[in-house]
Amino acid sequence: MIKDITLGQYFPGDSPIHKMDPRVKLLITLEFVVLLFVVNNFYGFAVCATLIVAVTALSKIPPKTVLKSIKPLLFIIIFTAFFNLFYGGGSPVFESVGWLRWLTWGGIRNAAFMSLRIILLLVGSTFVMYTTSPVMLTDAIERLLGPLKKLKVPVHEFAMMMTIAMRFIPTLVDETDKITNAQKARGADFETGNIIRRAKALIPILVPLIVSAFRRAEELADAMECRCYNGGDGRTRYKIYSCKSRDYVAICVMLIVTASVITLNVLI
Amino acid sequence: MSEIISVENLSFSYGGQKDTLVLDGLDLKIEQNSFVAVLGHNGCGKSTLAKNLNAILLPTGGKVYVCGIDTTDESRLFDIRRRMGMVFQNPDNQIIATVVDEDIAFALENLGVPHDEMVKRVDEALAAVGMSEYKHHAPHRLSGGQKQRVAIAGIIAMKPQCLIMDEPTAMLDPRGRKEVMATVKRLKEEQGVTVILITHYMDEAVQADRVVVMDDGKIILDGTPEYVFQNVGLLHSVALDVPQSAELMYRLRKYDIKVPISVLNEGDCVKVLSELLENKIDYKDGAFDI
Repeated sequence: MIKDITLGQYFPGDSPIHKMDPRVKLLITLEFVVLLFVVNNFYGFAVCATLIVAVTALSKIPPKTVLKSIKPLLFIIIFTAFFNLFYGGGSPVFESVGWLRWLTWGGIRNAAFMSLRIILLLVGSTFVMYTTSPVMLTDAIERLLGPLKKLKVPVHEFAMMMTIAMRFIPTLVDETDKITNAQKARGADFETGNIIRRAKALIPILVPLIVSAFRRAEELADAMECRCYNGGDGRTRYKIYSCKSRDYVAICVMLIVTASVITLNVLI
Repeated sequence: MSEIISVENLSFSYGGQKDTLVLDGLDLKIEQNSFVAVLGHNGCGKSTLAKNLNAILLPTGGKVYVCGIDTTDESRLFDIRRRMGMVFQNPDNQIIATVVDEDIAFALENLGVPHDEMVKRVDEALAAVGMSEYKHHAPHRLSGGQKQRVAIAGIIAMKPQCLIMDEPTAMLDPRGRKEVMATVKRLKEEQGVTVILITHYMDEAVQADRVVVMDDGKIILDGTPEYVFQNVGLLHSVALDVPQSAELMYRLRKYDIKVPISVLNEGDCVKVLSELLENKIDYKDGAFDI
């Protein structure tokens, strides 16, 4: 379960999608998310799904991995779909079966619609995570939010915190595995019992994990000081971003997708 | 050769003046481009000394000068830290970025190095530790030895004059240890870096030009490896081992067998032993039932 969380799971690569300006990528993704809420028919979703398939192919990320991003939220999708079944209206699916009269075509349509929306939302937004190194991502966020620095918002500090958090996810996942195994070797039982018992069984994992996280934080702070870290002032950048032709192409593609979705909305 | 580090009567305690002293009146001078190993059991103050050398910690008493700069001079803090690069034990806790080259650039970004220069230095640093082909890899997928070399590259990119390493091989497997030691020695030879290596491994200490042994916040032995490892009894008394060949010679000498006192590596040891056996030196019965 822990390993399935895709945050910070960057897939290094050399594809055009990877090479895009992260700021553009981020803005396009934001636009895409908004667009998914504008869509009001299945044809619109078809357009969005086509875009995602195209991006998957271009970015050379295995489709299986892309679909995996749905897994952690599968429960929410099913939950949403289930409740949407009741809010449909329209004619019942089984006219003759009395106790199934609540199941309507409209409900099924709604359920499918909402699930599709969430799935596309998840898949679409994890693309940024897959194809942008977290450092670039936070860099992009920092730059996009740059103007807020004038209002004394500590943009750089937040970006740095995000970078470090993402950097330590795999490390802490490994550590959790190790601690779990160590506790199992001592006879800890995580698999049986009711939910409260199981939650309690997690304490012997969480305590060492948090203690170790503090220790790591302290060492990391020393290591950062040794490398002359002094906040955001006077820093130069290793990565320089400039919009290239591929970014303009991406923006054009996104504009066309947006236009077609809106057209479909109006037409249907 | 001139001195790069000069420690004068340094004392240090974590809790201010009243607390017990971790370092107690320590004097140490280190020459440029030397390779100094610092030995001592846990809690003897080795790491505290290291952190005093690049102003992560400041002396409670006494003075520390690096490249002629007083470490308490706050206005030159970054001058000090840039010159005294420090590598820690756990590579996982010193790598900040999620891609190798971005991590190496971290210090350069902090120092405000211009972009073109930065790209050049990142490539140079990666080449210096032999990790060029891993430039775009994610650090958490590298082996321990490779991670530690990335951490070293991150420091080397600052072009430090001195590399302070606090047990850099303690968490590595034998192969990783070899990689790291070979890298460090090459940096010393090729780039003229001064190396201060804090270690628990005697076979690493033997490779240094000079060995400093600490106990209880003081330096108790200081000299060439040959000299230091003669004092087997003293080293044992402060809970330290000596290299196995030195230990063997020490025990043989206990039985009045005349072997040279400073034999530090296997090759020399084999030579001495074979000479000893060929010459059929008269030894008492049971001399080898140690």
